[in-house]
Amino acid sequence: MSSSSESIKILSAKQISIQKPLSEEWMDAPERYTDDFVRAVDPDFKQFISAGDARRMGRLLKRALATSLSALQEGGVMNPDAIITGTGFGSVENTELFLDAMVREGEHMLKPTQFMQSTHNTASSLIGIHTHCHGYNSTYSQKGLSFDSALYDAWLQFRLGKIGTALVGSHDEMSPVFAGFMRKAGHVREGEICSEAAVSVLLASGADAPALCTLEGVKLLNRPDETELKAAIADMLGGSMPDAVMTGMSGNADNDSRYSILGDILPGVALLRYKHLFGVNFSSSAIGFYAAAYCLAKGVIPAVLAVDGKARECSKGILLVNAVEGRHYSIIYLKPVCGKV
Amino acid sequence: MILKLKQEIIEVLNLEDIKPEDIDNDAPLFGEGLGLDSIDALELIVLMEKNYGIKLQDPAKGKEIFKSINVMADYIQKNRTR
Amino acid sequence: MAQERSVLITGCGIISAIGLDCSQVLESLLANRTGIAPLKYLRTEHTEFPVGEVKLTDEEMERIMGIEPGTPVTRTALMGMIALKEALADAKLDKNVLRQVGFVSGTTVGGMDKSERYYLDFIENDTRNEYIGTHDCGSCSEMIADSAGRFKSVTTISTACSSAANAIELGADMIRAGEADIVVAGGSECITKFHLNGFNSLMILDHNQCRPFDAERAGLNLGEGAAFVVLESRESALRRCVAPVALLSGYGNACDAFHQTASSPDGEGAYLAMSKALADAGLQPSDIDYINAHGTGTPNNDLSESQAMKRIFGSIVPPVSSTKSLTGHTTSASGAIETVICILALKNGFVPVNYGWEHPMEDGIVPNMDLHPNGALKNVLCNSFGFGGNDSSLVLTLADSVK
Repeated sequence: MSSSSESIKILSAKQISIQKPLSEEWMDAPERYTDDFVRAVDPDFKQFISAGDARRMGRLLKRALATSLSALQEGGVMNPDAIITGTGFGSVENTELFLDAMVREGEHMLKPTQFMQSTHNTASSLIGIHTHCHGYNSTYSQKGLSFDSALYDAWLQFRLGKIGTALVGSHDEMSPVFAGFMRKAGHVREGEICSEAAVSVLLASGADAPALCTLEGVKLLNRPDETELKAAIADMLGGSMPDAVMTGMSGNADNDSRYSILGDILPGVALLRYKHLFGVNFSSSAIGFYAAAYCLAKGVIPAVLAVDGKARECSKGILLVNAVEGRHYSIIYLKPVCGKV
Repeated sequence: MILKLKQEIIEVLNLEDIKPEDIDNDAPLFGEGLGLDSIDALELIVLMEKNYGIKLQDPAKGKEIFKSINVMADYIQKNRTR
Repeated sequence: MAQERSVLITGCGIISAIGLDCSQVLESLLANRTGIAPLKYLRTEHTEFPVGEVKLTDEEMERIMGIEPGTPVTRTALMGMIALKEALADAKLDKNVLRQVGFVSGTTVGGMDKSERYYLDFIENDTRNEYIGTHDCGSCSEMIADSAGRFKSVTTISTACSSAANAIELGADMIRAGEADIVVAGGSECITKFHLNGFNSLMILDHNQCRPFDAERAGLNLGEGAAFVVLESRESALRRCVAPVALLSGYGNACDAFHQTASSPDGEGAYLAMSKALADAGLQPSDIDYINAHGTGTPNNDLSESQAMKRIFGSIVPPVSSTKSLTGHTTSASGAIETVICILALKNGFVPVNYGWEHPMEDGIVPNMDLHPNGALKNVLCNSFGFGGNDSSLVLTLADSVK
């Protein structure tokens, strides 16, 4: 197969998070939280999933399926060529139930459904079953780089000409016990809200359908030094200058210091953030991607996303830089759809 | 005992929308009727052991024992150790 | 179909129940010696299940890797480190070139061996907090990668029993797309109480030695281990003057889309994965000289996989064997472990035997029981099918055949 240079469009993006689900109302009037651990706000799942199907699904799976079906419906593609998801901790609810019973009550009379739904690829395969899709199907689990990894895979598949459409998502749920673990391990830090998120994005190459924005590139970097990071960003931008950089800044000083280099590389370019609205979890970067896509679709960056609190126009592109626990970086570039003023 | 069994099944299989009176005592539980599948059969095997002390080693036997509520209740009466 | 960039394999590393490195594994394969035995290393109530454990304690593996006692590390990571070390040495990859090398690993249990041991401590006190950070899949890959040096990128695939196979596919895609010249890919998984009990709750474990493709098969035996292959572009191999050990000439990934734990009766996902792999390699079914089947020994898989093979190969199915009756089912690592087994078979001109088989299945394939059944091995198909219908197949080709 020859490689494809057709542009890759984001046809739709849907979220369930601590903001109003399946909605972009947060861009004007976000919910504000002060708690340490905030659960996602769930939609009425009955509009997507029958009771018979839902009975076996924990929250993560219902959210993954609901955001996926919603994204597919809006994008008008019910049978994507690829289904790729990311998850940092997998199905926490089921893992905890099974593990807890095993550790406290012993290794007998354990429930198969809990084990079955605890494996990380359950979301991807469930979506495949529901959509009857026999195409490429994979799952990534690399903590806060999980969505970025799933997106990278999809991008490679598009470039190799193997697929024309892809559903890419990332889903993470929390429980009070695991939220405690997140803090003890330093995955969620002081000043950050531990939260949940499920995001599904539909991509298509060369599509005529209306799109939110285009995907220009994805890079994954492990422990880059300053020179390597600068070179990767310069290579991604290819001489162009974005309207803003979507960062994973969260209000935690140590985390935010990972982004200070952007001031040198892109002086004067506005910095954006989303974790103060959506909290922190292993699927956070998918929220950043979704937020950037909508900024480009609307042509406006709302004040709530800007670090300096100023709304601005958005017509050139948004660079996304995600620093994961001081070692990984992902760099993603989104641009408006051609022809947009 | 039949009512208790139905309530236990509804709980273990998370059949949220179903009430005990919705389940016909002679209707098939698998395939048609309630439409349960192989994973549900495994959950019922766990239920039997947990609540009634009956250990089933062969999952294939489950299909016969779980044919209907009446068949299941009958088997439990005869074999329960709790 | 010609490839824009051929993907060579220039190095292998492995650790499993049948050997702690490639030469030991080769010896076991040629001697048809199984590594499945009564439980010895895992502390569990379920000692009734035969398993394919790596015959080393965690402490012994820490010593091999020169890790300070008390350093938080998990069994899955340790096995991965050892296999990675061998693969890099085999490919003559120095620490200082790793900056340009990608790393992709597959796992599902991650650090669960420690998490299940210290779960109550995680909740009730702060004595084991360092092991919370080793629980997830991604951390496991990071520990393995970091033991060797600083790779260009590190990521983790978690698709149950096809994880490592998918890791190899991603690595190959990265090379074909020009993202990297070299990618190390594979997987690692240790046996944990969590999934031993999980599989037991699904009632798919055999209380005896497993018998893939046997009419009386009763389930699988769990195994553990790790393996990595060094995937490399032809230009890079020429530049570094390293000879390939094999060629990854094709691969395919498809979804069965049938059920969370059972395979479809007609093996649709398996059929599609194998078909895609053959098409990708530009080969006909008749070009395949051996199939290393997923062959877990469960009633469901072996029947489903047999149907899929018959759909592709018709009445002329090449020699097929499952090596899971030797290594155990190494779950997330199986795709890489069995890839290395296929490479050893190609290089040494033999076909692994389907250990333990006696009775032909109705509607099933009859597996290979002869180390030298036919002529030379040139193209081998390696199957890995995961829970949830994540099905992947790889085609490996003898290096000398590469023009």
